[in-house]
Amino acid sequence: MVRPYAVTGGRTEPADGEVLTLLTVLVATGRPLPTDDPARLAPEHHRLLGMCGRQMTLADLAADTALPLGVVRVLVADLTELGAITVVAQRSTDKQTGNVLQEILNGLRAL
Amino acid sequence: MASARSDTHGGAAAVPAFTAHKILVAGGFGAGKTTLVGAISEVRPLQTEEALTTASIGLDDLTGVGRKTTTTVALDFGRITLGARIVLYLFGMPGQERFSFMWDELAYGALGAVILADVRRLGDCFPSVNYFETRRLPFVVAVNCFDDAPSYDPQEIRQALDLDPSNPLVLCDARDVASVKSVLITLVETIASRRSARPGPGRGRTAPPRSPASRLGQ
Repeated sequence: MVRPYAVTGGRTEPADGEVLTLLTVLVATGRPLPTDDPARLAPEHHRLLGMCGRQMTLADLAADTALPLGVVRVLVADLTELGAITVVAQRSTDKQTGNVLQEILNGLRAL
Repeated sequence: MASARSDTHGGAAAVPAFTAHKILVAGGFGAGKTTLVGAISEVRPLQTEEALTTASIGLDDLTGVGRKTTTTVALDFGRITLGARIVLYLFGMPGQERFSFMWDELAYGALGAVILADVRRLGDCFPSVNYFETRRLPFVVAVNCFDDAPSYDPQEIRQALDLDPSNPLVLCDARDVASVKSVLITLVETIASRRSARPGPGRGRTAPPRSPASRLGQ
């Protein structure tokens, strides 16, 4: 059994940057990781980066890796800082419109 | 959309492949939250950790032996893909007041909530009802009809909960996908009618200051 925060080097707060909410969508940028400092990255970093080959929410990443949310938040912030992952901006106005609610209703009825 | 999917390596200007929407499933312990989320989606646990204290770490190694500094809370987490570009996420929200530290982050950005009620322990959902009323987040009370529970007139339950008429109360079977679907449809219809009746969230009635959502899982 490995203590969850061992992979973050004991850090429980992400590095400064964008606030990562449960439904923040993340994606790999394709930018290569720096080769000069590979020891800094844990296998979990690489695993998360691989999962971000397609767009994923922070909550999905935590559930799929079975890592605590706080750990994933720290690791994702590391990868964002390195430019390997970026936040996919959601169009917040789009989320508020009746059209989206109607789409959700149609989708639920079709289930 | 296919074009959005293929653009996932597009760097800073990545096009959203989907929009993510959140619905909370609240209610007391044993009210059927896990069952409900599992009836309509593939439910997975989401591990969160919460620091109980931050002051003593590293200071008190001898006397602090066995001191627990974090508590683990597993939330039910379900994902429903609706069409090509919408994903609906269901988050189980533990309704006991001792979990209230995480309610703000869970509620942040949520469309609305389903509050599951068990008529044998109706009081268990009072904290959730109070919370969503105060936050003016739309909700539906879904009375989970357990086989061995006494049946009550929905109007009586409404009165017992002192529900505002704008919040529907429905009977449901949390095990049954059609029933859960119907609850979610009622909720989204409620959200839609509130938005069309009162454009611009945050207007009208008394709105308490929102505390920033930040604590969960740090």
